[in-house]
Amino acid sequence: MSASARTETFRLRASNFSLLVLRLLDPRPEAVLPVLGDQFRRAPGFLRFAPIVIGLQDLEASAEAVDFRALVEGLHALEIVPIGTIGGTPAQRQAALAAGLPPVRAAGGKEEEVPLAAAPAPEAPQPRQPPAQAPALAGGTRAALLVTEPVRSGQRIYAQGTDLVVVSTVNPGAEIIADGNIHVYGTLRGRAVAGASDNPEARIFAMNFDPELVAIAGYYAVREGLGEAPIGRAVQVRLEGEQMRFEPLG
Amino acid sequence: MAQVIVVTSGKGGVGKTTTSAAFATGLAQRGKKTVVIDFDVGLRNLDLIMGVERRVVFDIVNVIQGEARLSQALIRDKRVDTLSILPASQTRDKDALTREGVGQIIEELSADHDYILCDSPAGIEKGALLALYFADQAVIVTNPEVSSVRDSDRILGVLQSKSKRAEEKRDKVKEHLLVTRYDPERVTRGEMLKLEDVQEILAIPLLGVVPESESVLRASNTGTPVILDQESNAGQAYKDAVSRFLGESVPHRFLEPERKAGLFRRLFGGRAA
Repeated sequence: MSASARTETFRLRASNFSLLVLRLLDPRPEAVLPVLGDQFRRAPGFLRFAPIVIGLQDLEASAEAVDFRALVEGLHALEIVPIGTIGGTPAQRQAALAAGLPPVRAAGGKEEEVPLAAAPAPEAPQPRQPPAQAPALAGGTRAALLVTEPVRSGQRIYAQGTDLVVVSTVNPGAEIIADGNIHVYGTLRGRAVAGASDNPEARIFAMNFDPELVAIAGYYAVREGLGEAPIGRAVQVRLEGEQMRFEPLG
Repeated sequence: MAQVIVVTSGKGGVGKTTTSAAFATGLAQRGKKTVVIDFDVGLRNLDLIMGVERRVVFDIVNVIQGEARLSQALIRDKRVDTLSILPASQTRDKDALTREGVGQIIEELSADHDYILCDSPAGIEKGALLALYFADQAVIVTNPEVSSVRDSDRILGVLQSKSKRAEEKRDKVKEHLLVTRYDPERVTRGEMLKLEDVQEILAIPLLGVVPESESVLRASNTGTPVILDQESNAGQAYKDAVSRFLGESVPHRFLEPERKAGLFRRLFGGRAA
């Protein structure tokens, strides 16, 4: 009884996040920051205030000369928020910690690209797939993530910061997520989550619409709630205010 | 070098072991040196279906733990002399299997066999992962039923991410769909998924359709792989599947309900049309 009377001020919960890793190939902030800033100017809005982890694994072990304070300041100036480091030597991690960047552990181990063998992250079996990075196109825009194989039950594909195009089918029990729009040119039978980074403008397009769940920017509808939707047809899903609209295509 | 074939499904009770036994026997009958390995440690069944349960001395776990040589554990089939069986242990659990141990066994068998069939346990845990890890090809056994199709779909995903070929980024494991326990009458009545529906979801090439048949249970109970029963539809369907596997073009059979002498049809069919 007394417990319910007391007001809770916080709850501590473990949670998993997908973060971008900025892998340093050059230890000098004055070499890295201008190039980074240049890239960001060409892709305005992309990654603004995005939390980022500094990857040290590609640096020479002797390069304790990284001026982490300057790096942090420079990144803040670019409106990027470094939150920690991964990899590197104990000395490098120590220097980073002194600049307010604690070592971060990768929950599921792998990054998308095959890491060098020395990655210290504990390898736990991970049921989810790492977010797939879309390649950057010339001119700063990011190409949509293209998937040509069927997305099968239990598989999860995340198009981070971009659109997702699935040429094949998305089977029951599969989950596709995109920060942008989702296009499915086969049958959408699994779950589709568009606008995952809170973008209410994102839409879902499916040539054959038969999903378990669709969501846009946190608003979702499960299959049971899709009574009115044109199941089995070509459909686009969009958000109008807080209402999800299902419109036949073509 | 032998081809390693995993027979898998995700779901239990769909006919993996029946298929492994029939398929291995069929390949051996065609003159291929074949060995079939039971990966279902703790719930071994393949020896029963193959009718060799009274000849098991050592098993795969003994070999992995160095208590027996591989040649001591292999059981030569008495009906087809190019076929042998490596049984599972009934008294251990799947933790007794190690990737290195299994790898060594497969390498050793590879030297003097054409095909190594791995009979996977159900599920997507250690035993099943080990059974598919070394595979070059996979026979996905699926019943025309939604849960079986979904589990097969899951295992196909696992195959393309957790197999050795996937890890080494080599050519992907070649997949074959084998639909078992297909009952055309129940399909017509809408009680079972149509073959096309199964194919549409799994989207892999069809190796064969094995009809639901009483001969399968009879074969299991007598320890005779059903492919040796020339009379049965199931046995013939497995024979066809083996031929297709070996690259021959054989039309699919047993997809339609068997015609009953249709008195009604004969009386009224003509006029209605």
